Amino acid sequence: MDALNTINNVFLIIAAAIRSLFADPHSVWANLTMDVIDFIIVVIIVVLAALILILLERKVAGWTSQRPGPNRLGPRGWFQTIADALKLMGKEDITPSGADKFIFKVAPMIIFSLPMMTLAVIPYGKGMAPINIDLGIFYFLAISAISTVAFIMAGWGSNNKYSLLGGMRAVAQMISYEIPLLFSLLGVVMITQSFNLGVIVEAQRTVPFILIQPLAFVIYIIAGLAEVNRAPFDLVEADQEVVAGPFTEYTGLRWGLFFLGEYGNMTAVSALAATVFLGGWQGPAPIPGWVWFWMKVGIIIFFMMWARWTFPRIRIDHLMHLAWKVLLPLSILNIFLTGLGIYIYRLVMGG
Amino acid sequence: MFGKGLLTGLGVTFKRMVGPNITEFYPEQKPKLPTRVRSSMGLQRDKCISCNMCAMACPNGVIKLTSEKDENNKKVLKSYHMDVGRCLFCGMCAEACPTKALTVTQEYENAVYEPEDMDWDMIKRAERKGKVG
Repeated sequence: MDALNTINNVFLIIAAAIRSLFADPHSVWANLTMDVIDFIIVVIIVVLAALILILLERKVAGWTSQRPGPNRLGPRGWFQTIADALKLMGKEDITPSGADKFIFKVAPMIIFSLPMMTLAVIPYGKGMAPINIDLGIFYFLAISAISTVAFIMAGWGSNNKYSLLGGMRAVAQMISYEIPLLFSLLGVVMITQSFNLGVIVEAQRTVPFILIQPLAFVIYIIAGLAEVNRAPFDLVEADQEVVAGPFTEYTGLRWGLFFLGEYGNMTAVSALAATVFLGGWQGPAPIPGWVWFWMKVGIIIFFMMWARWTFPRIRIDHLMHLAWKVLLPLSILNIFLTGLGIYIYRLVMGG
Repeated sequence: MFGKGLLTGLGVTFKRMVGPNITEFYPEQKPKLPTRVRSSMGLQRDKCISCNMCAMACPNGVIKLTSEKDENNKKVLKSYHMDVGRCLFCGMCAEACPTKALTVTQEYENAVYEPEDMDWDMIKRAERKGKVG
């Protein structure tokens, strides 16, 4: 049990050791150092997630169509993404002549910075949130909503009709799905009476919220898929219709940033789902909390990939129907039922 | 029930995912060819009676053979060339062959670098080691 506790808190112990190097462990400089280290860790998480997930995606795509996926480079092809990343770095950086140069160049940077900002509030283990803020969910959704702007910036800045079409689709889709996404999380917030992700995880010690809020979880997963523009909701980058949407004109490392951002956002959405609905770092078996957390994130990401390689792309009007006529009423119904449940609970318990 | 099809679809893809691959790892593992594959020709020199029936049967004029008479006044094959660049691998030559000296084989790694290499000297090909036909 003691060893397990040590493994469980290994990162906290390391953090305390770094802090103890300072004369005053809670001075401004110690805090600043810890913040920088936290930032670097989050960047590493985003980059690692992209490296692993791109390969995993190709593997899952292969397995689904009865192929082995990448299998040449390294053991069973596990080094493929590294080679791809090096290739992207070596490519020529092209800016189209008619492009709005500033917007064109700043859009991928925004996309890439968003998952770093959102992943910073996720509690990876007990007391292991890089930034512990009380408006965690609120902050998360506010930041992830900025990606809509980045998509329309990329679409507009490219000076390409397909890119602009893709950007417009991104705006329509992401704004529509933001509403059910937000409302699906409200039920949990109503139960815990807190926006703080740490408090929400603590509240799931006995029962994860997926059992109390199954409808909200389903809505969250569907809306989350649409939020990160993954198939079957990949109308934004639909290759057959708008080439690659906002990404058409990007080359080399800029395009790579979009890719990193996409997989980083996917990780962030999965991490929020794991935190809010699946109990975050809490689990029944004696496994370190951060392992629990990443296992849950992995399961959700796998489901996202599985769905991508199963379903065909949804039509744009059906997309809007689903958001406004199905998911939104259902999420409002869920809020209503949750409120009713809380009211009855209080009536019975006399709270 | 609404949405049942989605779950069925997920089930189908999951079954494919955990099921076996159908990929053949070609250069490392040789593929299992169907029995009817016709991809190369082979000649057994000692069986050939130089009757020229194969060259007559060929729709594209691929086969060119020369022969000479030996002391028993029998024809002996001297040279046998196939211009594979024009060959259909239809197998009509093998069908026409009265002694089954010419056969269709399943050797398939026939790519060459130069156009001249497509002119096969069948006698030399037959003498190569470890090759079929």
